[in-house]
Amino acid sequence: MSSETPTLTVAAASVHASKIYGKGDSEVRALDDVTVEFHDGEFTAIMGPSGSGKSTLMHCVAGLDELTSGSVLIAGTDLSTLSDKELTVLRRDQVGFIFQSFNLVPTLNAYENITLPLALGGKKPNRDWVDKVVATVGLGDRLKHRPSELSGGQQQRVAVARALANEPHIVFADEPTGNLDSKTGHQILDFMRKAVDELGQTIVMVTHDPVAASIADRIIFLADGKVVDEMREPTPEKVLDRMKRFGE
Amino acid sequence: MSVLRLAFKSVVSRKARLFLTSLAVILGTSFLAGATIFTDTLNKTFDTLFAEVFEEVDGFVRSTDVIETDFGGEERARIPIAYVDRITSVPGVADAQGFIQTFARIVGKDGTPLGSEGNGPPTFGGTFNTGEIALWAVSEGRAPTNGTEVILDEASAEDGKYVIGDTVKITAAAGSREFTMVGIANYGDVSSPGGATFALFDDITAMDFLTQPGLVDAILVAGDATVSNTALADAIQAQFGPQDRVETLTGDEITKETQDQIGAALDFLGTFLKIFSYIALGVAAFVIYNVFSISAAQRERENALMRAVGASKKQIRRIVLLEALVIGVVGSALGILAGIGISRGLSAMLKAFGVDLPSKGLTITSAAITGTLQIGIIVTLVSAYFPARAAGKVPPLAAMRATALETIGSMRTRLIVGFTPLLVGIGVVLAVVGGLGAVWLGLAILLVFSGVLILGPVTSRPLAMAIGAPIAKVRGVTGEMARQNAARNPKRTARTAAPVLIGVALVTAVTALAASLRAEVRDIVGEQFRGDYVVSVTSQGFGGLSPLLVDDINEVEGVANATAIGYTPVLVNTKSALTTVVDPATTEGLFELTMLEGELSSLDATGILVEKDKAERESWTIGSDVPLKLSDGTEVAAKVQGIYDSNDFVANTVVSRRLFEGTGVTRFDQQIYIEVEEGADSATVEAALDAAIAEYGNGKVQSRDEFIDEQANQVNQLLGLIYGLLALSVIIAAVGIVITLLLSVYERRRELGLLRAVGMTRSQVRTSVRWESVITSLIGAVAGVILGLGLGFVIILSLADEGLSNYAFPVGGIISILILSFVVGVLASVYPAYRATRVDILDAITTT
Repeated sequence: MSSETPTLTVAAASVHASKIYGKGDSEVRALDDVTVEFHDGEFTAIMGPSGSGKSTLMHCVAGLDELTSGSVLIAGTDLSTLSDKELTVLRRDQVGFIFQSFNLVPTLNAYENITLPLALGGKKPNRDWVDKVVATVGLGDRLKHRPSELSGGQQQRVAVARALANEPHIVFADEPTGNLDSKTGHQILDFMRKAVDELGQTIVMVTHDPVAASIADRIIFLADGKVVDEMREPTPEKVLDRMKRFGE
Repeated sequence: MSVLRLAFKSVVSRKARLFLTSLAVILGTSFLAGATIFTDTLNKTFDTLFAEVFEEVDGFVRSTDVIETDFGGEERARIPIAYVDRITSVPGVADAQGFIQTFARIVGKDGTPLGSEGNGPPTFGGTFNTGEIALWAVSEGRAPTNGTEVILDEASAEDGKYVIGDTVKITAAAGSREFTMVGIANYGDVSSPGGATFALFDDITAMDFLTQPGLVDAILVAGDATVSNTALADAIQAQFGPQDRVETLTGDEITKETQDQIGAALDFLGTFLKIFSYIALGVAAFVIYNVFSISAAQRERENALMRAVGASKKQIRRIVLLEALVIGVVGSALGILAGIGISRGLSAMLKAFGVDLPSKGLTITSAAITGTLQIGIIVTLVSAYFPARAAGKVPPLAAMRATALETIGSMRTRLIVGFTPLLVGIGVVLAVVGGLGAVWLGLAILLVFSGVLILGPVTSRPLAMAIGAPIAKVRGVTGEMARQNAARNPKRTARTAAPVLIGVALVTAVTALAASLRAEVRDIVGEQFRGDYVVSVTSQGFGGLSPLLVDDINEVEGVANATAIGYTPVLVNTKSALTTVVDPATTEGLFELTMLEGELSSLDATGILVEKDKAERESWTIGSDVPLKLSDGTEVAAKVQGIYDSNDFVANTVVSRRLFEGTGVTRFDQQIYIEVEEGADSATVEAALDAAIAEYGNGKVQSRDEFIDEQANQVNQLLGLIYGLLALSVIIAAVGIVITLLLSVYERRRELGLLRAVGMTRSQVRTSVRWESVITSLIGAVAGVILGLGLGFVIILSLADEGLSNYAFPVGGIISILILSFVVGVLASVYPAYRATRVDILDAITTT
């Protein structure tokens, strides 16, 4: 898929990516020859009905799952050439994650969770950057608290901060607002938007929520393991309309 | 669905947990089963052996003069062989022969005696009986017929590479002699019973060389089957009057008596082994309790759901207990199977520590099976009871709760409940120190241990944080996570560390005790013995050095003085006592007693020296009359000629070797202390001493330092055995850590998946689990070392009356124990850490 704005550079991409579960009659093609690019400094949302392969695509591009065929590139590196250890290090240093739930290590406090990938890499956190991230998500006074002492929204904010703290090449978010009420969910989406606009972060988010998706710069629609459509400058209404057509 | 079926489904659906819990039961019961099988097999082996020995013997005539010694042994007077004539005249007697079986050692071609050193099987010399009552059969060559001939058992001939016609040197109480080997004998279908060595002679030679001319140990009688054995024995006994001091036993009686004697000694060994198997079982009980507690917590939601849909508390409890019953039955049954292997291991281990016991086949009694099953099931059910009760108490609402965490009750209540027994226990210890009877110590130790175990959950968190602090410093975030993980569930950590604590406390106490004993032995031996060389026996406990050896050594050029010390049973004022036998003429400067009254050097043939406490008990003073009776029946009216201060290396009575001159007592020396002339060349003297000893084929020369080292290190042999027996408890404790970690890893799989996703490498996961394991192990070890040192100190204190006054702080031992605990922690983490690295990232992060 070619980009409409050639000045954008590619942060991550999948090339003829296929993921097949099972064999023979019970074969399921979760991804079917997907070639897609995610651009630097852009907020991309991946949408599609359940079973469309959107989570699988994200897991594969993020280096959490392996393709059956095709390849995934992050910052120009082909993930299939990496060992488990190299892949882990790539996730640690170049990728940020925000999951739907259970994002935090219960024995570590908020600050320790935020700096966890840095600590795992044996790196000293860049104080200025971490302060900026913490300020962006508005966590200042809760840094010494354990996850069990934080509300669901606060926990997700810590997760967003963690995803940004190691200045990753790209951030993947899997239904980051799925477990939150709409008001808290909006806050989280705002932080993510700010991260892109103010910190220049690249974010890829999987969601089934048209309102959440409409905060993105660009939406990729998946159905039956294939990319079926793409939308720029989305609004909730446009997204909802597009999604309704999947039902037909 | 019935409760039973629910329980069964619950067990079967969790195979891994079933296996892990069963493993604790298996290990716990296997030692008990092993110890039982081992002692049963030994008993059976000896019973069969003695039944075979006396199979053809219908009557057994022996002296009634007997002195009992420790561990069911006895020293019996001999009887004249002339009685054979009187016995053969009795109608119904087909044959009667003199019988001797006493100490003798076959010297190998290289000059060293055959047979194992230490507490191995005995080495015998005796009569080669012939005819129907013969215990031995000639397998090669012929029977010995005169004073120059000997026949050896097949195993010894093979061991010494002796063939018919060879000259064989044999050593006995009367010195050593050379014989011509004329044959090889077999004992029933075995080459040598129980690994003992046998040198057998005709009766005249046996008496001349081993006992005294005209005297035998007993007379074996064979009947002609015309009368019953009982009637035969009565008829024989009728030939003797009370003045003859003999008794006649039937074949069955002597068989049973011999079996009972060895049985008593084996009972002692059995009890010793059982103590350690119960320790292992106790440790296993903790592991079982822990596993059930963790799984009850992990199944909280499931149990709550069952409660919500209408199961009663009682039903939930019953499901858990039924599950425990299944595990108890299966685990104990497998424990019995594993016990067979353990029994072999025990046999090998005892042999390695110098206790070589013959065992044939495998005796598994139904009592061993039912006993192990019963105890295994009871221990499992008791260990599961509290977790079962806790499972029943789960409120139905817990089904809605997201995470399953073990609830921690009031820490204040726990502090009070824990500190009470701890402080009372310490109080009792202080009271014992202050003079309360030492029997209270057992209670005190129990109280202190209970207190510590109850306080465990309160202390495990701070301990984990403290021990983990340096690890977190060095290992960074993985170390910090290990530290937090070890501290996050204080109850679980405490329960996992408890078995380690028990094992380490016992090992530390034993180590401290041994170190103190070694120091004590060094002090005493060093103080008491001031010579340059020592000759000591290489056969512990049976026989010894010929009393003639010391005279030869006194003749050696360069030897200024040599004195012999022996121990012989004597009836002192009708009480059996092992008495120290010395030569007062030569003790000066070599063997010292702290005399309170009288002089050692003035002790004569009819005198006795008495230890202070015994003299007080018996109200003896200098000049008191003390009737003595020797093992051959000789009676001596002795007088107290001195009183000495108590001394660990000397019995509580001392007599002169001259007391035994001219009597029928076969006596051995145990040690000869030697002082060398000034200026004598040590190499020359040593060579001359070796040559003198080689004449007798028994004994070894050691310098003063070597001797003191060896005496002190004798403690190590027992220590090694105890370590070996405690090893299984330590292994069970390690398995406990493995199980807990596996369950924790399973419980934290989402967290692990998350960590892997955000960049924790597999090796970092491994490191984290490893350090968590090490911290848990070290919590137990540190607490165990402290408790063990206290325990050792208290035991030593209570032994102060027995003369133990040293308290050696076993620094090296403690360091080794801590290192070992570290290693145990590392090893226990291997599999759980591997499992942790295999957590599926996607599974972990996509489950909601």
